Amino acid sequence: MHQATQTGKEIFSLVNTVDAISPDCPLEDVAAFFTHPKYSKLLSLPVVEEGRPVGMISRYRFMDIYLKRYARELHGKRPIRKFIDGKPLLVELDQPLAVAARHVLANMQFPLTEDFIVTRHGRYLGVGFVMDLLHAMEQQMLANTMELEQANAQLKSSQLALVQSEKMASLGQMVAGIAHEINTPLGYVQNNVAMGQELFQQVQSMIAGYEALVDDLLDEQATEEQIAARMQQIVEKRADVNAQEMLGEMQGLMGDSLYGIAQISELVLNLKNFSRMDAAATEAVNLNECITSALNIGRNVLKDKVEVIKELGDIPKISCAPSQLNQVFLNLFTNAAQAMEGQGKLHIKTWFADGAVHISVADNGKGIPEEILTRIFDPFFTTKPVGEGTGLGLAITHQIIQKHGGEIHVDSRVGEGACFHIKLPIAPAIVPHQRAVLEAVA
Amino acid sequence: MSKPTLLLIDDEERILRSLRMLFFSGYKVHMTTDPHEAIRMLRDERVHVIVSDQRMPVMQGSELLRLAREASPATMRILLTGYSDLDASIASVNEGEVFRYLMKPWDAEEVKKVVADAAAIAEASFAVQLHEVQLHTEVPVDMAGAKPRVLIIDHDESIAKTVHETLGDRCEIIWAADAQHAMEELAKQDVSVVVSDLMLGATNVGYILKTIKQLNPQTQCIVVTSFNDTSRLIELINQAQITRFLPKPVSKGILVRNLESMLERFHALRNQPALQNRQTVAPISDPQEKIQAGNFLGMLGRLRAKMGA
Repeated sequence: MHQATQTGKEIFSLVNTVDAISPDCPLEDVAAFFTHPKYSKLLSLPVVEEGRPVGMISRYRFMDIYLKRYARELHGKRPIRKFIDGKPLLVELDQPLAVAARHVLANMQFPLTEDFIVTRHGRYLGVGFVMDLLHAMEQQMLANTMELEQANAQLKSSQLALVQSEKMASLGQMVAGIAHEINTPLGYVQNNVAMGQELFQQVQSMIAGYEALVDDLLDEQATEEQIAARMQQIVEKRADVNAQEMLGEMQGLMGDSLYGIAQISELVLNLKNFSRMDAAATEAVNLNECITSALNIGRNVLKDKVEVIKELGDIPKISCAPSQLNQVFLNLFTNAAQAMEGQGKLHIKTWFADGAVHISVADNGKGIPEEILTRIFDPFFTTKPVGEGTGLGLAITHQIIQKHGGEIHVDSRVGEGACFHIKLPIAPAIVPHQRAVLEAVA
Repeated sequence: MSKPTLLLIDDEERILRSLRMLFFSGYKVHMTTDPHEAIRMLRDERVHVIVSDQRMPVMQGSELLRLAREASPATMRILLTGYSDLDASIASVNEGEVFRYLMKPWDAEEVKKVVADAAAIAEASFAVQLHEVQLHTEVPVDMAGAKPRVLIIDHDESIAKTVHETLGDRCEIIWAADAQHAMEELAKQDVSVVVSDLMLGATNVGYILKTIKQLNPQTQCIVVTSFNDTSRLIELINQAQITRFLPKPVSKGILVRNLESMLERFHALRNQPALQNRQTVAPISDPQEKIQAGNFLGMLGRLRAKMGA
């Protein structure tokens, strides 16, 4: 782009309009030109015939001839045509700077003894200096580098935005799942409390009736009729509301409500454990806890269709970013659930060996075809329909594991399922070049 | 009249116990966590209203309600769910043909009213022996008399063309590309079936369907759209009683099959006005749509007065 708009202009700025000499010009006149202040900056003089450049005569070559003994007498009257370099360096005006520079650099002689001729459609226009050309070239490279740096910065920021959006998408899915799960206990707790309130009022009014009756009975002034009316009121209320039965029922519902509130608390606690927003970014954690936390959060995706088999071994704590590893595990679990057609099994195993914690996550879903097995960790690679997956889930997983100095491998056979194996060292060596992206992940 | 029978299904027993308490004074309440047992109960006993959860391990609520529709067509079907995913709501329209799609946590008074309305409607349905009517509608509709009118509301003409090619000889097909034209057509004459997209450009035409259904309960509404907003769809179930929701692009076969069955439904309801209440709609809830519906009704009144004059 840059070059296209600048075509012609770039070379034009290098042109020095210099009167060319004719090939018929005698050698002795050329000596005068070289000493003329007008040509003082030129290394060589352009020789042009009928508008077309036919050669160059350099100071160097001129001296070579002219300083020989008797040269002036022998050659002074001979035309310059006999002595010129018939293959001058030519640059067409509308050539891109880079092309011109490449041509000049490839054909120029060392030491530098000649300038180059600029032509327009093959006709002589002026002379250019090699040093000017190189300088212009350097300027352009500098500009290009800046453009590249800008493009690079833009790419980086859009990469960050994508990683962020993947994170938001999985977070959104998770939050929606939890919100839905909370709706069930919330449904009966709210209903029970509302009914309890109504029953409370009814019972209150009945007690008021009974108390009024007791008051009347204790009141020596009360008449038989008055007492009979009170009793009638109570009998009517009792016909409306079977308080004993309702209270018995309500007692059960209050127990249910407490259970429901405990369930809601547990869900909220799971969310908190999972996000670990209130914990330090890096801490010593037992990965079995992260796995349990991710399973709790993923329950809504897993519960109906996946039988989870846990074989969590005795593993030491490792220093890691638990919120990131939670994300890794949730991602692997939900991927596994999505790979299952109908009911499936998810086998999660942890163990300690060779100074590292090992985790394997195996499912018996549809498996990953061999031809895409090498690509599943690539950014933007997805088998899900457009809009359903960003193709970043496993790429981010891979980066998180790498950042922890660990490894992740996958083994799969179509129709039999897939097994992801993660190995994390107890003391991770932080890999610095992954930082930029992972800062967004963290 | 004896107490109406209410059948509750949820995989969470605490939901069942809570709802039983809410209804036990006015209803004979049955409850179960097992959908298969629910179907047995529907066969064994006259059940007025069934209220089911959607997400259950054995069977989805929409599937249970589809089976309920076969086992006891007169029973009114209500879904009560904490999950509002699109697939579930589409299935509840197309398969479950639910009377209401209610969300957990619920408003006790609203649920009580909905169930009471449903119970009264079911009672009337039992009286006209719905079974026979439904069987009757399996035979091709008698097209004697006026041709049924089908109104297509869609920006794009392709659906109108498809319908014209296949049903053009049996029905009068009208195509309206914008809300104004659709409302004018509806003002001129009642229609049997409306096939409508939801978004015409930036205009949401849901209010037109909701208003039509308030005026003419026997008109059947099919929504064919690529617009998929679950909460909008749930509104259309409750407030427009749409009977089919078909995601775009829709195949010709599916469109025509559904359109034919809705034409049959229209005739069945026209012959049995007592059944029209089965598609009673809830009031429009969206304030903006209330205004739009009001304007539409005003325009309808003016146009009909002019035509009558």
